[in-house]
Amino acid sequence: MKKLFTLLIALVLFSPLHAQSFFAEDGEAVFISKVPLHTFEGSSQNLVGLINLDENILDFYLDLETLDTGNGKRDRDMKLTLETEEFPFAEFYGTLESPVDLNNSEPQPAVAKGTFKIHGKQQEVEIEGTLQPTSEGILLKANWILNLNDYNIEPPSLLIIKVDENQEINIEILLKPYSEDQ
Amino acid sequence: MRYVATFIFLIVFSSSLLAQMQRQRAVKDGPVDDIFRIGSLIGMSTVVNLEARNLNSLITHNFGLVSSGIEEFYGLDQNAAVRLGFDYGVTDKLTIGIGRTSVEDNVDFRAKFIVLEQLKSDKIPVQVAIKGDVGINTQKNTQFDDFTFQERLNYFVSIMVARKINKQLSLQIAPMISHFNTVKIEQAGVIPENTHYGIGLGGRYAFDERKAITFEYLPVIGERSPGTKNHFAIGYEIETGGHVFQMFFMSGKWFTEQHLLARTNTDFFAGDFRLGFNINRVFGL
Repeated sequence: MKKLFTLLIALVLFSPLHAQSFFAEDGEAVFISKVPLHTFEGSSQNLVGLINLDENILDFYLDLETLDTGNGKRDRDMKLTLETEEFPFAEFYGTLESPVDLNNSEPQPAVAKGTFKIHGKQQEVEIEGTLQPTSEGILLKANWILNLNDYNIEPPSLLIIKVDENQEINIEILLKPYSEDQ
Repeated sequence: MRYVATFIFLIVFSSSLLAQMQRQRAVKDGPVDDIFRIGSLIGMSTVVNLEARNLNSLITHNFGLVSSGIEEFYGLDQNAAVRLGFDYGVTDKLTIGIGRTSVEDNVDFRAKFIVLEQLKSDKIPVQVAIKGDVGINTQKNTQFDDFTFQERLNYFVSIMVARKINKQLSLQIAPMISHFNTVKIEQAGVIPENTHYGIGLGGRYAFDERKAITFEYLPVIGERSPGTKNHFAIGYEIETGGHVFQMFFMSGKWFTEQHLLARTNTDFFAGDFRLGFNINRVFGL
């Protein structure tokens, strides 16, 4: 009986069911590309994210084939450039470096450190954004600059003019309370 | 000791649950991409359509016969035939277009509809599209001045079936019908055909993401007008961001398929072919 009780206590202590987790799979990710005299955007509504506040873990990924620039041919070019058949995801996995006050409904500055992976290459990155507790969960907004060369992505060309190697990335996702048994 | 082992196991197990989420594709199945790069191989239409609200401007040229030799700079000194056209994606499956060909000032209106899409899962192994084109000869000269509007019309309809075999190779077969309300008697006693039937065959082999070779062959099936040859063309396709360039050798001087099928009068395999190129530029509106 004593052994069983000990095991139950251990399970309760280590069970992720009690982790303070927030999850969503309908976040928005937008990239902004620039060439001289021209700018275009691509976006997806399929950003998947998980925040575990107990462990301060952030885990995000995006199926790159869901990106839409509003131009079918350009979408196909983008998929070829990113080699999405071989490397279908852009991913971030890291830790939240700043605490979040769930009782404060104002946007709170947040910093995440971790590994960003795309096109089969990964880099250690630090991303700044905001976390805002809401009645539905936590709203996360972040933006950063992604350098294509850092990930062995050859910037595509429009005629002979190459797209800027620095791409502005914006994400916005409302993460809702989540437990592992959902 | 057993308690320690149990605790270690639980710690490891629970830690593993904090590991990364399993990555799952958002798009598990869907249409196969890039069966062909653009809506036409060279002159023959493909099963590929523009996406909704995309506009393709297509400029098509060809020159005189290469067999004209150095005196005509292998055809480049001769007048170029040009078709300027625009196609617009009404929906992802319906594209409409208009164009004007400098030869006989033929203005044509066309529409293409994708009936079936080849799926990555292979549940649908081929892509099927239908295309119609109505052309109007708007030329003003003594030869055509007496023609009524009805007499100036020409038509084309085709059912295209294509499959992307693998990453490199796509093939298409397209039964087609071409009809001209008016045909010109070139040879006394020989009545030309108003209607021609054909089977279009086409393919594309990609060397990499940007470059490919293409071909198309439009043999006439059944009766044909005197002098009508089977159209053949072979091309080299280069894609840059936003543009698809197609350079080719083709037998006939025409660009609309009703003309390619019925009015090609030079034989590629007898050495009578001409240089040409297409420039496609797609805009998102």
